[in-house]
Amino acid sequence: MISVADLLKNDRVPGNYFAPATYVRGDLELGILENRRGDRLLALPETLIRSIYTGLEKETGQATRLVLFNCGRWWGKNFYSRFCEEVSEYYDTPVSEMEMVLFLQCLRECWVAHGLGKLDLDQSFQHRGFLVVTISHSPFVAQVKDSQRPACFLEAGVLSSFFTQLSGRELHCVQTSCESLGASTNHFILGLETRLAAVEELLEEGLDHDSILARLCP
Amino acid sequence: MNLEFESIFDRAEGRYLKAEELNTLTLYVESLPERLDAYKRLRDHEIEVLQSVADQIQVDLPNASIEDLERAIKNLLVVLRYCAMAMLLNDEVFLRERLLGWLEEVNRAFNLRPINEALYGLLSQGLKQELSPPQFALLCPYVTLAQASLVGSA
Repeated sequence: MISVADLLKNDRVPGNYFAPATYVRGDLELGILENRRGDRLLALPETLIRSIYTGLEKETGQATRLVLFNCGRWWGKNFYSRFCEEVSEYYDTPVSEMEMVLFLQCLRECWVAHGLGKLDLDQSFQHRGFLVVTISHSPFVAQVKDSQRPACFLEAGVLSSFFTQLSGRELHCVQTSCESLGASTNHFILGLETRLAAVEELLEEGLDHDSILARLCP
Repeated sequence: MNLEFESIFDRAEGRYLKAEELNTLTLYVESLPERLDAYKRLRDHEIEVLQSVADQIQVDLPNASIEDLERAIKNLLVVLRYCAMAMLLNDEVFLRERLLGWLEEVNRAFNLRPINEALYGLLSQGLKQELSPPQFALLCPYVTLAQASLVGSA
């Protein structure tokens, strides 16, 4: 027997915590942008993003990728703990007991609510040890000019750190297609670093995402 | 706020509302007592309506897992609450943007479509019995919208 009354926790059924209309709030007079819990949000003008990318490229050249990737790792680490805190509080369930579908759906919504683009996951390669993530309309890569290779290093860092903490295993992340190179979306492959080593070489050879994936999972 | 009202108020910046704009507002205000009554009725009889839906669905779909049924009924609860609020506000965007997009993904991931198909039929019957015809007419478009998005989408 299903009891409807028992399905209600404190007479409340949670909806979409990250619905932008309720998640993002602001006070124009105070110049404050915050989320529904009152945590401060930061709006980044495109000029700043562009300047960071251009400045880094000028100052550090080749190392830009690594700098951005590591910044992303750091960001991802904090992002993961904030995310878990908010989600478990709202859904009144510890993240460890939350259904993965709900957890990932929250991540998608959270990504959109923060204006970071549209994130999606393809778990069909999970049994081979890989997770494929796509991010469309990345606000970061939109500012990248004249890139020769995939340029979402920041996001790759965030994803690697986020899923490392989620899975409890050290996961690396490599981007295999990029909007800055004319692709319709940005593809990322996550997996153990040793297993992803080949991807860098395949990218150098000029292989596209599908071909790289086919080589990884023959 | 309802987008239509919002645009009426925006357009009227610095002038008085035109007759047809006032008419739109008047229609809404006049419908408000009925909306409030329907809302209160839903609030007070939610458990009964959904409990009979829950009892019947277990008879209609004896092979569905309890876990899936509970999940779908829980989603139905939240849908009904959002529909009630959307009806009160006369605002389908409220329902669509705050809930349906999100639920569509959850439904797809758990493959709840066949259960939802049966659930929404039962819910409609239950609501028809619980609400007066004008109240049902006010709520119906929102339930239909939810149904289209959660049953209609593969």
